[in-house]
Amino acid sequence: MVVDDHPMWRDAVARDLAEAGYEVVATAADGAQAMRVAGAARPDVVVLDLQLPDMSGVEVTRGLQAAHPAVRVLVLSASGEQQDVLDAVKAGALGYLLKSAARPEFLDAVRRTADGDAVFTPGLAALVLGEFRRLSAAPAEADSGVPRLSERETEILRMVATGMSYKQIASRLVLSHRTVQNHVQNTLGKLQLHNRVELVRYAIEHGLAGEFEAGE
Amino acid sequence: MTAEVIQCSLVIVTVTAGSAGAQRSSSEPLWRALAAFRFASVGYAAVRLGFIDRAEYSRPDWAWAVIAVMAVWTVVTTIGYTRRGRRSQLLVADLIVTVGLLLSTTGLQHPDATVHGALPVTATWMAGPVLAWAIRYGRRAGAIVGLIVAGCDFALLRGAALSTALNGAVLLLLAGWVVGHLARLAAEVQAERQHAIEVEAASRERERLARDIHDSVLQVLALVQRRGAEAGGAAAELGRLAGQQEAALRALMGESWAGSRATGASGDADLRQLVLPAQTDRVTVSVPAQAVVLERTAAAELTAAMRAALDNVRQHCGEQTRAWVLVEDEPDLIRVTIRDDGPGIPDGRLAEAAAAGRFGISHSISGRLRDLGGSATISSIAGEGTEVELRLPRVANIPVAASPGTA
Repeated sequence: MVVDDHPMWRDAVARDLAEAGYEVVATAADGAQAMRVAGAARPDVVVLDLQLPDMSGVEVTRGLQAAHPAVRVLVLSASGEQQDVLDAVKAGALGYLLKSAARPEFLDAVRRTADGDAVFTPGLAALVLGEFRRLSAAPAEADSGVPRLSERETEILRMVATGMSYKQIASRLVLSHRTVQNHVQNTLGKLQLHNRVELVRYAIEHGLAGEFEAGE
Repeated sequence: MTAEVIQCSLVIVTVTAGSAGAQRSSSEPLWRALAAFRFASVGYAAVRLGFIDRAEYSRPDWAWAVIAVMAVWTVVTTIGYTRRGRRSQLLVADLIVTVGLLLSTTGLQHPDATVHGALPVTATWMAGPVLAWAIRYGRRAGAIVGLIVAGCDFALLRGAALSTALNGAVLLLLAGWVVGHLARLAAEVQAERQHAIEVEAASRERERLARDIHDSVLQVLALVQRRGAEAGGAAAELGRLAGQQEAALRALMGESWAGSRATGASGDADLRQLVLPAQTDRVTVSVPAQAVVLERTAAAELTAAMRAALDNVRQHCGEQTRAWVLVEDEPDLIRVTIRDDGPGIPDGRLAEAAAAGRFGISHSISGRLRDLGGSATISSIAGEGTEVELRLPRVANIPVAASPGTA
């Protein structure tokens, strides 16, 4: 499923996907439509533009993840939207790609997203690195459970952020390709888990806990 | 003179003017309030003459004529003051007419009228020119005209009632002063409001433009870039150019946004805004989501060093070499890493070049970083590209705003 408000882009992306053998089950021009259509179309992968006319891509990601946890979200964005990209990834998007990425790169990203692998561009790696640093720099609370990166994970993320492929990293660090991939995936997992914990804590602190309990 | 009466009128004028101050032109509401005050004062003067002070007048018929002139003059000034061009002449005429009518009281009342507490025939109406001058020329002019009118009022006194007249004089003086102050204040508020509206409109327009450009031009450029690269040949060149323009336009928009958001007072800059424009179809710039705040000149120097490193890549490895820039904001240092996938630098060649002072890195990169109190390291593996790491410790220039809540 392709979600983008710009018809030219939507069609181009959908055509690329169709030519590569994917079935485009639906397209949507805005967030509300995306949420509506996703239920009926049951897509495996949603290619989502971060800038939509009615709601932010972050909200769409969160909404899709809540309603259809099996759906995998790949975020396409223009550059210069770092905070939005980070928020979308924390909300559960599996990866992020610049809109100017070449077609093979894009198709590869879709394939990996469909497989459930995180699509780590250098840009995303830098965002994740920055987010972990921000979290660890924040005033420490006793049981805050702030996630931290291991030294190895930091090392690998920095390599990804400077454009090295998993293969190059694997040979540099004498690791298997799969191990590198797992390390990268773990960093994202920690961040998403932390985000969910924070959301629940926020809900409890703001008196929404009762509703949760009532719903259980 | 009844002080309370003037006091009440003053309060009315002040309140009316104050509540109207937020409207379009700052002094227009004040002129309207003045007109209202004068009409009300004519009515009050008529009441004084007709009922309260009736017994004090030796020539009531002439006094009624004076009231009639006051009414006519009130109409004339009300209309006249709405025409901006002739206000200054009218202000002089207003003062002369008012003082003349005020002094005419001498011939109209019994000699001991003031001793019995009678007001001059003009009553509170005589404050009109005081307020008019104050509105037009500010508090000093208001106070001076207030003094003139009060002086004439004193001239009417026959020995007694000095303290009440003094009270009236002080109130006239204060009226001129306060209303003049109010007029200037209103003008200032008006100017500020105007400025704020202009700034807001400009920045909204800029954001609208940026959004429009984002929605249309940038999307198309990105598409051309992508399709061009796939088509190959001449189209690939077109695609590459489109990509460059996209990056340039995006950088421009980023700048204008950053410019409109700049907090001004501090000398700090967001390093991201400086390095992101370096992004091209061959160079990928990756930054954190939070602003990387550091002192403005340091940010500029760091950016210049990064550009020098990228220039090196282009010079030594060719146009087609890809490069990546990574900006990291650590608690104690800012790190900018530039890596390329070129052929790398053979062992020993770097040290040799640096010793001979030939290689650009020692000057434009290491030198800059040294001046800032940082360092630059360069490492290379033959066949796997080169990595330049710029490190700038945050010792001297730690911005207060960037290190929240350690207390």
